[in-house]
Order: sequence, then structure tokens, then C-alpha cells
Amino acid sequence: MIKFTKRSLLLAAAGSLALAGGSAHAQDAFKVGAINPYSGAVALYGDEVTRGYELAAEKINANGGLLGKPIKIIRGNATNAQEAIASIDQLSTRDNVDVFIGTYMSAVAAAGSEAALQYDKLYWDTNALAANLTERGLPNFVRSGPSAGTFAELSAKAVVDLVANGLGKKPGDLKVWITHEDSVYGTTIGDRQAELLKEAGVKVVGKTPYSAKSIDLTDVILRMRDGAPDVWLSTGYIPDSNLLLRTAQGQNFKPPVTIFNGTADTKETLEALGPAGLEGIFVVSYPRYDISEKFGPGKDEYLAAYKAKFGGEPIAPQSLNAYVGFQVMAEAIKAAGGTKPEAVVAAAKALNKPLGSYATGFGVKFDDKMQNGLAFPTVGQWQGGKVVTVYPNEAAVPGVKPIGLSSK
Amino acid sequence: MSAFINVVTVGLLLGGIYGLVSIGLNLIFGVIRIVNFAQGEFVMLGMYGAYLAYLLIGVDPYVSILVVVPSLFLFGVVVQRFILQPLQNEPMMQVFATFGLLLLLQNMVLAITRGMSYTVPTPLSQVHFDLGGVSLSLSRLIVLLSVCVVAIGLSWFLKHTLLGKSVRAVTQDRRSARLMGINVEWTYMLTFGTGAALAGLAGTLLAPIYTMSPQIGGNFIVAAFAVVVLGGLGSVWGAFAGGFIIGMIEAFAGYYVNPELKHVAWFLVFIIVLIVRPSGLFGVMGAEEVGLREQN
Repeated sequence: MIKFTKRSLLLAAAGSLALAGGSAHAQDAFKVGAINPYSGAVALYGDEVTRGYELAAEKINANGGLLGKPIKIIRGNATNAQEAIASIDQLSTRDNVDVFIGTYMSAVAAAGSEAALQYDKLYWDTNALAANLTERGLPNFVRSGPSAGTFAELSAKAVVDLVANGLGKKPGDLKVWITHEDSVYGTTIGDRQAELLKEAGVKVVGKTPYSAKSIDLTDVILRMRDGAPDVWLSTGYIPDSNLLLRTAQGQNFKPPVTIFNGTADTKETLEALGPAGLEGIFVVSYPRYDISEKFGPGKDEYLAAYKAKFGGEPIAPQSLNAYVGFQVMAEAIKAAGGTKPEAVVAAAKALNKPLGSYATGFGVKFDDKMQNGLAFPTVGQWQGGKVVTVYPNEAAVPGVKPIGLSSK
Repeated sequence: MSAFINVVTVGLLLGGIYGLVSIGLNLIFGVIRIVNFAQGEFVMLGMYGAYLAYLLIGVDPYVSILVVVPSLFLFGVVVQRFILQPLQNEPMMQVFATFGLLLLLQNMVLAITRGMSYTVPTPLSQVHFDLGGVSLSLSRLIVLLSVCVVAIGLSWFLKHTLLGKSVRAVTQDRRSARLMGINVEWTYMLTFGTGAALAGLAGTLLAPIYTMSPQIGGNFIVAAFAVVVLGGLGSVWGAFAGGFIIGMIEAFAGYYVNPELKHVAWFLVFIIVLIVRPSGLFGVMGAEEVGLREQN
């Protein structure tokens, strides 16, 4: 038999009040479910993306919040597709979030957005790259950031424009060798690069896919060395990109220009290669926090807020991209006056902002599949142990020029 | 011709890596008859051990061997005593236990490092020799020399020391060995500890070559399984030779065929060897070999 004492009843009453108070408070907030990996091998960048969301939410809250409510970010851990579905289920039913936002992992974004559709909730994508995410035509899915295609396009454009001009050669005289890890991520980018370069008349003298789990990549370097390319374009993950660069160093393979896509721009690569080993290497990545304030208005404000809140410089450029993506989402929701996916999508489609409207330099103009056509990566270069933005020219801080390319 | 010599060199150096990672796995399999799924994670622990030693006391990874290898030996002894020994009569459960250990170790390191990749700096990793157009990296050369020393040392230990003889006796017939007064449990602990220590040695020697991640052990272990089956289950020299065979196949297939297909090439050879000679290329039935006879 259960005995009720005065004390236990009082405690129960206090608990109920606290719960009621808590839920009343939660109902007052505009709840955003942030789907990202917060555990496991990729947690570091999941945290970094969410830091961008938090900074954007704080900025919006300081100006009165969203739809009259302060924004509250609720984290949903998802390191793979299954966890994405579980997190969406949990945040929809337990926390009753208003909208979802995420992540840089395409598999998570794909599964998460489909699960969110079951609850008729918006899934706003800021950082995932896979081209097929928008091609599905999911009615609750919007991508404000760049896609894999834009990475391929910018790297090809950099070869034709920046490199050819810099080396004083015609595009038709340039020899390019492409390497990429052989999953869908690297293959999509590598294939598109080859296609675009061939269209521009550049000679693609070799294309070598490899497994990111390889213990040794000397064969890739030796084959490439035989082709004596002017430009080496590579797409991979951090450990295999580091191994490739170290093997190239060991084999004395140093083409005039090396461009890495999406990786080789973090502390992890600096630690592996050292500043001298990386000097002059180009990296195509999300717009970095060193772009010029004129190109990305609000970038300085972001950087100051990041340093103040997290006590240092951003770990990676992902957070700036997420920061801007969150702001665009908030504008679309505000314009829609609610969170119904069809209303937000329609409002987002009506947004029309020119390039240079946000801290990344992005504009906003969504296509029919809800891909922002005015989002793009930028090209950075390792100079003196740091990556600095060098291309497009207007993104670079005045005075910063690419090195290792003799100008015409 | 220069390309051919280069590819042979790459194959030899790669074979050294595979051999070093596989010898410990093969020793454990030969003596205790456990397929240790966590062996790759022991290699990973060796790598992180080298990094930790660098971080805490600033020592070079090659010096950290003095700390990491004995630590892994002790860890192996503890695993054998407290996880595997209680399951001694349930071999299937022992295999599952090593798989559980794999997940545990991998996720523990993930939780601690938050998935950040690390590299251990050493001035030696920057040293390369150029011998007539063939580039040799010192850190890989050290691995190659180490695997030779380990194979010779382990072979000598098993043949010429009392402890080694007890290991061989247990391998050949556990029950008879016990009747002869050999402490089988201690022999198992010694063997598992040595297997883990060898993985630790591999990890510290490989740490300057790779960017380490908690999952890196998995990259080595698939190849290591192929090496031990190809070379001969339970044979020290089998693992040694198997490493070089796999290394050569990979180097040649990667350069002359396609880097994407190099793993297909060695799996193909692996399957053919399994069909033609299931005991492996160097697995000869006999008491002087480790781990080839069925237990009674």
C-alpha cells in the first residue's frame, strides 16, 4: 500500500507546478529542432554547425524573436539516417518543435527531411551538399546553402580563370588530373569537374577514384606523377586527403597547382603536413570567416559574436554557412507568418536578394526545386600556416593575393 | 623500369605494415583460437597511446614504444583474464566478446576525442631517401625493419625459450600440456598480452604515417584477416610472408590496373588460396608450426 505523507504530497505538488511552468514557458518559445551529429566521429562539425544556428538565433532574439517568440534551439542527435528518423520522431512528438534545421551530412538530411514530412514540418537544410537532396522535390525541403555541384563548378572555374590566368596559359594548354574518393560524394564532384573542364577545353589527363579506407595511396600518386599534370584536383575526407598529401610529399610530387575540395582546410591537415607542406595549396570550401566585410556584410559581427560566445576563432567555415542559412529560414518563416511547410516554401520562393546580402556573400533566389541559386563556396589558399580566401577576387580581403601563380 | 622498381618498393613497404599488424592477430588465433575482432582497435589504441605520450610528456612516438607496448601488454592480459577466460568453454561467445570490445574501445575513443583527427609529429616522418628515382620514407622503412625483427624474435622465442615451448605445447594439445604441468591459463594470458603488445607496437610505428581516427583500426583489420588466412592460420612466418604478398598484389594492382580495384585483386587471390589450399600458403601441419592442429 502506498502511504502519502504531507511531505510527499507537497513535493508532488511542487513538481507538478514546476512541470506546468516549464511547459508553459516552452510553449512561449519558437522551437527549432537542430538535426546534427553531436556524438561520434563527426560530432565536432555537428557542434560547429549548431554554433552557427545559436549565434543566428541570439541575433534574432535580440531583435524581438521570430513570430513574436524567442527562438529556442533543441538539439537532435543524428550520426546516420536511422538516428535522424529517431531524432525527428522524438523532437516532433516529445518537444513539438516548430521547424527542423540541419546538417552537413547528406544521408542524415535525406532521411531526416522525409521523416519531418510525416509530421508536416519544414526541414531547412543549410550545409548538406548532395545534389539529389533538392532533386527529390520534397515539399517540406529547402536548401539555402551551396550544393555539391557548386563545389565542382567553382573548382573548375578556378582552374579556367584563376589558374590559367595565373600561370599565363590558355585553358586548352592546361593538364588536369582529378582524384576523388570513390563513394557517391567524391564521385559526383569528380565526374562533374571532369565534365565542366572538358567543356572548357581543359585537358583532363587522368581521373583516379580511390577508396577512402585505403592503407596506402602511393599508387594514386605514382599514376598521377606519370601524367605530369599542371593542376591536381582532389575530393575526399580528412584522413585520406591527409594521406594523399603526405604521400605526394614523400614521392616529391608537387604539381604547379593543387586544389582540394571540401577538406584540407582544417587544423587536422595543418597538424599532419605542417605549414611548409601546405603552403600554396588551394581549398574549395564554404565561404570562410576571413572574407572581406564588403563581400559578406555582417561577417565581422558574426566573427565577434563567435569569439565572444565560444572563446576562439571558428573551428571550420561550416558555422558561418549555418549562421546565414538560419537567418534566411527565419526571414522566410516571418514572411509566411507561420511554419506550415507549403507557406514557408512559397514565402522563400518569393525572396529575392542580390549577391552580397549576407555574411557569406550569398544572395537568395530559390529555383523550382528549392535550391538557393545564389549560394556558393569560395576558394582559399594556405599561406603562412593559415587559409585565406583568394577567389572570387572580390571575396578576398584587399591586399590578399594568391601565391605560387606567376601573374601575367 | 624505374616505375616497376618503385612499385616493388611500395609493395615491400606496404607488406611490412600488413605483416606487423597481422602477426599479433595470428599469434592469438594460433594459440587461443580466438578470432580477435578487436585487434584493429588495439592498433588504434597504440596510435592514440603514442599521441597521448606526445601530448602529456612530449616524447617522440618512437620513444613512446617504451610506455605504449607494455601498457597494451597489460591491457591484453586483463582482457584475457577477465573477459575471455570466463568464456573459455564457449568459443562463440569469446568471438562476440571481442566484437563487443571493438565497439567499446572505438566508442570510448570517439567520446573522448569528439571525432577530431590527430597526427603525431616526429621529425623522422619528414625524412625521405631518393635512391635512383625511388622514394623511400624513413617511417615506413622503420616499420619494414620492425616486422623483420618481430618475426625473427617471435619465432626464436617460440622455438628456443621455455615459455615459448609452453606456448607451442598449449597450441598443439591443450589437455596434454596441462597434464605436463603447464599452466594453460597463464600461457593464454601471456599470448593475448603479447598479441595486444604487438598491435600496440604496430600502432606506435604507424602513428607518424597516418592521420588517426577512432575507426582507423577497421582499415587495417580487413587486410590483416586476409593476410593471416592467406599466409597460414597461426603461423608467424605465414603472417610475415602473407603481409608481403598482399602488399605486392595491392601495389601492382593499384599502379598497373586501377587503385579502385586493388582490394578486389587481393580478395580474389585470397579466395583462390582458400579454395586451393585452405590452410594457407605457409600453414604446414606439424608441431613446430603454431596453431595448425585441431584441439582434442
